[in-house]
Amino acid sequence: MTTTDLGFPGLAGVPAATGKLTAKDFASDQEVRWCPGCGDYAILKAVQSFLPELGLRRENMVFVSGIGCSSRFPYYLDTYGMHSIHGRAPAIATGIATARPDLSVWVVTGDGDSLSIGGNHLIHALRRNVNLTILLFNNRIYGLTKGQYSPTSETGKVTKSTPMGSLETPFNPVSLALGAEATFVARTIDSDRKHLTAALRAAAAHRGTALVEIYQNCPVFNDGAFDAVKNPGTRDDAIIPLEHGRPIRFGSDQQYGVVRTGTGVEIVEDPADEDVLVHDAHAADPATAFAISRLTDAGVLHRAPIGIFRQVQRPTYDDMAREQLAAAAAETSDRREALAGLIAGSDTWTIL
Amino acid sequence: MTYVITQGCIDVRDRACVDECPVDCIYAGSRMLYIHPDECVDCGACEPVCPVEAIFYEDDLPSDQAAYLKVNAEVFADHGTPGGSVKLTDALTDHPIVAAVPPGVPTQE
Repeated sequence: MTTTDLGFPGLAGVPAATGKLTAKDFASDQEVRWCPGCGDYAILKAVQSFLPELGLRRENMVFVSGIGCSSRFPYYLDTYGMHSIHGRAPAIATGIATARPDLSVWVVTGDGDSLSIGGNHLIHALRRNVNLTILLFNNRIYGLTKGQYSPTSETGKVTKSTPMGSLETPFNPVSLALGAEATFVARTIDSDRKHLTAALRAAAAHRGTALVEIYQNCPVFNDGAFDAVKNPGTRDDAIIPLEHGRPIRFGSDQQYGVVRTGTGVEIVEDPADEDVLVHDAHAADPATAFAISRLTDAGVLHRAPIGIFRQVQRPTYDDMAREQLAAAAAETSDRREALAGLIAGSDTWTIL
Repeated sequence: MTYVITQGCIDVRDRACVDECPVDCIYAGSRMLYIHPDECVDCGACEPVCPVEAIFYEDDLPSDQAAYLKVNAEVFADHGTPGGSVKLTDALTDHPIVAAVPPGVPTQE
């Protein structure tokens, strides 16, 4: 088995496919079961079309999911996969990535699975920078359980479990990830195939934990939540496009720009060219990326930055853990003696 | 796989499906609408809203409408994958099979 440098540092060590694969090779024989019009179909199709580009063996790809509509994903991909425990996909994926450097590891999760039930697992995976890619389908509702408010639902949202409106302040997944020391954070939209594919490509190339938040419409329980950024008539004024090295300008006539304020950033109409912030996804300090993430509407979504917020390099947990293991194994030639030493330990007590 | 618009749409073009499609892959010709097979994500949102029940999943096409699988694909031969009907600036020319259907002929039994 040979490994080839395919230009994706995040996948170094994963064996290349022997022949050319197509999207069909990644479609399983399972009937896809989501509601008609669900954004998950668009994401599945985009992922199936993108995976052949990685040029990897299907046997060396793993998709781990938690619980929820999005978490049905692994059934529909002809790769290895695991429909795992609610919220615990990042923990399982951490184990897989650490034990098997020859696997491309992906997590598929939703806003409830990753931010509510599995909130802790998500932040610690991000902090540890394990080499895996997390696709967070954010539809701002609990869909599988038929429409209760989720950790990303806006304040005041009326659902079956909040008949008088939600009292809670929602999470902004991008802000949360940046606060959790994530090295790669992006946001994209289910129906924008080109942008979604570009985000997947960048995330796969990244060595470390990559979080991709995907705005995903739930046509049954939260229809139209992302209309502002999807509809041709409104999206030019609603999407703040982030491209590394480019000034952050947007609007139907490019009339808006993001400029620095004393403590953060703000949107200004007709700003002077020299005032417009040039997006730097590679900045060591996440403060500006965080400030940009705050331009996302916390309530009903009217405006949101889309693109790669942050992309920096930091040693990964799994690479370092394997190095430690190798170093420990190299230290001793007598394994029996090493084990005896470990059991006797250096920190013992005598009980009187 | 893809959903397919069939003969029932000819001279109807209700467009309810266009509003429903989450990926904007339904394009208008002058006599009927067409689903781009490479852009369709098989979500099925269009099928129940069609007032003349002219939309079918590829595998469920009635045998007398089987040609429309080819019709929906071939009509995009010169357009590639525009990535959404709003991005297609040139008008879509109807497929010859569609153009040959005489006007006023009942298209749905």
